[in-house]
Amino acid sequence: MELLILPLVLALLSYVIPSKGVKYYGLGASLVILAVTIGHLLHFNAENYVAIINPINDLPFGLSFKLGYDSLSFVLVLLVNSVVPLILLANFYKELATNKSFTALVFFMQMGLTGVFLAQDGMLFYIFWEVTLIPIFLILYWFGEQNNNRVLLKFFIYTLLGSLAMLLAIIVLGVASHSFEYESLAIYGAIAPAKTACWISCGFLLAFAIKIPLFPFHTWQPATYTSSPMAGTMLLSALMLKMALYGMIKWMIPLGFTGIESIKWLVITLGLIGVVYGAVIAIKQNDIKTLFAYASISHVGLIAAGIMIYSTTAVEVAIIQMINHSIVSVGLFLAADILESRTNTRDLYSLGGITKLAPNFGFWFATITFVSISVPFTAGFFGEFLLIKELFEAHWFAGFSAATTLVFGAVYMLRAFQLSMFGAPKLTAFEDLKWNEILVFAILLATAIFLGLFPQFVIDFVKPSIAKIQELTSYDLKIIK
Amino acid sequence: MGQNILLLTLIALPLVGFVLTGFLGKNLPKRFTVTIATLAVFSSFVCALLLFNMNDKTQIVHLFNVVNFEDFRLSANFQIDSLSIWMTLIITGVGTLIHIFSIGYMSNDEGIFKFFAYLNLFIFSMLLLVLGSNYFVLFFGWEGVGICSYLLIGFHFSDEEKGMENSIAARKAFIMNRIGDIGLLFALFMLLSTFGTLEFTMIADKIHELKDAHVTLPYFAITCITLCLFIAATGKSAQIPLFTWLPDAMAGPTPVSALIHAATMVTAGIYLIVRSNFLFELAPFTQEIILYVGLATSLVAAFIAMRQSDIKKVLAYSTVSQLGLMFVALGMGAYTVALFHVTTHAFFKALLFLGSGSVIHAMSEEQDIRKMGGLAKKIPITHLTFLIGTLAISGFPFLSGFYSKDEILAHALMESPVLYGALMIAVTLTAIYMFRLYFLVFHGKFRGGNELESHVHESGPAMTFPLIVLAILSVFGGILNLPGIFLHDQAHWFSHYLESTTAGLNEIEVHHLESSKAIILMIVASLIALGVMAWAYFNYVKKGNLAKADNELKGWEKASNSKLYIDELYNLLFVKPLELISKTIYSYFDTLVLRNGVFIIAGLIEKTGNVTRKWQSGFLASYLFWMLLSIVGLITYYLIKI
Repeated sequence: MELLILPLVLALLSYVIPSKGVKYYGLGASLVILAVTIGHLLHFNAENYVAIINPINDLPFGLSFKLGYDSLSFVLVLLVNSVVPLILLANFYKELATNKSFTALVFFMQMGLTGVFLAQDGMLFYIFWEVTLIPIFLILYWFGEQNNNRVLLKFFIYTLLGSLAMLLAIIVLGVASHSFEYESLAIYGAIAPAKTACWISCGFLLAFAIKIPLFPFHTWQPATYTSSPMAGTMLLSALMLKMALYGMIKWMIPLGFTGIESIKWLVITLGLIGVVYGAVIAIKQNDIKTLFAYASISHVGLIAAGIMIYSTTAVEVAIIQMINHSIVSVGLFLAADILESRTNTRDLYSLGGITKLAPNFGFWFATITFVSISVPFTAGFFGEFLLIKELFEAHWFAGFSAATTLVFGAVYMLRAFQLSMFGAPKLTAFEDLKWNEILVFAILLATAIFLGLFPQFVIDFVKPSIAKIQELTSYDLKIIK
Repeated sequence: MGQNILLLTLIALPLVGFVLTGFLGKNLPKRFTVTIATLAVFSSFVCALLLFNMNDKTQIVHLFNVVNFEDFRLSANFQIDSLSIWMTLIITGVGTLIHIFSIGYMSNDEGIFKFFAYLNLFIFSMLLLVLGSNYFVLFFGWEGVGICSYLLIGFHFSDEEKGMENSIAARKAFIMNRIGDIGLLFALFMLLSTFGTLEFTMIADKIHELKDAHVTLPYFAITCITLCLFIAATGKSAQIPLFTWLPDAMAGPTPVSALIHAATMVTAGIYLIVRSNFLFELAPFTQEIILYVGLATSLVAAFIAMRQSDIKKVLAYSTVSQLGLMFVALGMGAYTVALFHVTTHAFFKALLFLGSGSVIHAMSEEQDIRKMGGLAKKIPITHLTFLIGTLAISGFPFLSGFYSKDEILAHALMESPVLYGALMIAVTLTAIYMFRLYFLVFHGKFRGGNELESHVHESGPAMTFPLIVLAILSVFGGILNLPGIFLHDQAHWFSHYLESTTAGLNEIEVHHLESSKAIILMIVASLIALGVMAWAYFNYVKKGNLAKADNELKGWEKASNSKLYIDELYNLLFVKPLELISKTIYSYFDTLVLRNGVFIIAGLIEKTGNVTRKWQSGFLASYLFWMLLSIVGLITYYLIKI
């Protein structure tokens, strides 16, 4: 329970702290949450399900308030609780970090995200899903670029629209199975008439496709990323979109299982169009943040397509790739922000030769670039290799479209890196990295290398819960037998 | 057991060297870091030698399973056999020499510690590539050497003038390699789905089993796999159509060109095919394609090399052309012959590149051969060793290149006389451009001006020592695989040494020409080499014909000088359209259609809102009116229905 309550308490407490100490408080508090999470990890057996609140039965409308975690949920909670300290660390010397509301909002956000991953009840999942929208909207609105109201409004309405479709799907499911508790929903999903199930999965799909975002629902994303403060972009891309990918694995596919076949290839196609489309657009972008935004569309398209294959391997690898994507997006948007805040421009052609002025930044930006193009010894190497393999086995052309990311990824990432960092310097001075920035990059790289050498840790960890979810979906087969 | 530890030490040493030089190098004295890096590779070489002495049969060393799924696993396993040990010897041996050379060549560079760190990382990746016992470890190393190649080509990326140019060349190399890598990726997937494993020995065993059981082999799948493997090989080994990156890669420091782009990395494609010989044996269609692509590449590259004016570009195209010859050998199924040429080529091409490095060093970074001339007396050691390299590559009798080329030619003659004739053209062109290069650089008058001339100096011992060692190897390298007419008992030592790994599925059948025919072939080859040498001497030294300026060239010379316009063609066919598509879909589709589409939908909703808003006018009378109207309407409806 403290996983959920602690961020909320810490969020409220940050208003009591004197504003001088807020940034120390923020970092310290987020580390406390991380420590608590690791404490849970030590007592946790991946095979088990740990209940936080057991289902309460006699509530009206079939609500159950069931909260708890299995290994899949736990991986994502751990991801959230590790990335938040990194985000705060990256912002440590920014004006933002001294703001009480900012710190409080980040913790509030953390609470919402944790709730999404812990919810074992459809309604609860929806509530937490919507709760996360409030802090991120306020962070973007208060601390983002001036005059971004229109962009934010679009982002807000767009995601809200998707969520409503999901709410509808959850209500239909809940009414049909007389309960919102996860397992009864999943059991209903496994035997539901195909047509109903198809509509249900479409409801979920709309919400997830907008959040991920999948082509063609991505138009809110580049503008939102570029006009947000760094912390907002990181929260959005490293954590919030993982809710949607997680939702696909845990909610959309099992709950609409009998109807999923009819939209399977639609989603895979959209994902793969995104892979190529995002990459091709990124090739000629000159605004570094827009470039990274489109690159992100390309990366997550691959993950979404892989999840839809829904083989055990594909889902397990998709989780590795989700973690990898968090590493890459924190790293890249940190680098982009360092460039922007120190030069006041995001235009690649106005930059150049920075490696010479700031060798440390050159080194760390290069490493994160390599992590993002999935070189050996980094997590993405396995992630990409195995996801493409699963897609290839489904259809060779799907594999081929996915494999283009190997080439296009190298094209746009190396172009961005070279234009900004190599050649003759166009600036006279560029402040090199501060300790906190080096620390963030180093932690990211260490994690990427660790996962690149021992991906089996993650695979073994999530295996039992993936097996359990897939068991639920084969429920109907058991009845027939 | 001893072998296992030795092997792991061998692989780990360059990695340790990389970590030490890379992370501590900044704070250590230069002399110290370069020694660490060089020693790491040298110790590796010693380990390889020990293994070479011990090795008698194939052995697999299991390290750990990287990923483990129900239906397949990817493991970090290594394989000791004659093929992998031989490649290791070349990589670490030539690698050590090039490390030593770099100590002298890079001594004035501030980032020397980085340079050595990258070199060590490269050696490590290359060792993974050749020592892995499955395609997955190979792929790991394959990607790894690509990264190192990128880092080293663009090593001087912050140079004021050439920085951007260098980094663009590096990127081109990386991207073209990645295009080939898609082929490797697909080959791996198909291997997994066809055989369920990526281990070399297990796949070979499975094919044996199927054959023994007289089951029809999956020929179609095998053909697809081999074609994909070959696509990968064209990327790494710079064959048509993916060869244009290699000449551009000469932007890197010269030791890099010698190590990566001549002796080791570019032969990875050949290694890949030799390693997969049990598959290629079953895919005659692919073999034929390899043969023709190799032949075309060797001719095209040799033609382009004829009128290049940059000393390193000539050598780069020469490398492409020689690699083409090796692929011709592979296409004929003559795996040991290809590897023999890989070996001798590693010696003399590394020698030539290092020699050119020494020349460039002496010329204060000038690479244009039109500004050189008469260097023979000023830099005697470089001159002599370069001459040996030139003779070896041109097939001068009894030097290493003479034997290895002769084997390819002999096989070609048995295949078809036309093929032999075409190869003879490539071989003759090789001799012509190499002697042109040699005479223009070392003979005649100095053309670089007095200022430059006064700076010309011989390089230090760190640079001349590797040259001398490589020159000795280039002279005597042929002894490895002497043809039968010279020595009856020990002939073809190399072929027999590699027998266990390259025999493929069939019993080895070393093609031995009849002695008389073999002698005739050798005499023809020698005569051509000598004839070209005499002609070149007469033309460039006696008559004093010099390389022309670019704008004076006409006809075939212009075509050769402009690299047959292949870069321009690729630009027009692939780069420009892609950029155009990128811009178009961004500014039209993404912005106009999609983004505005959302606004149009939003606008529609707003308009609906405007209409419905009017209904909520707040006038009681109006509500009453609508209510009454509805009631009347409902009643009417039900009345009609009844």
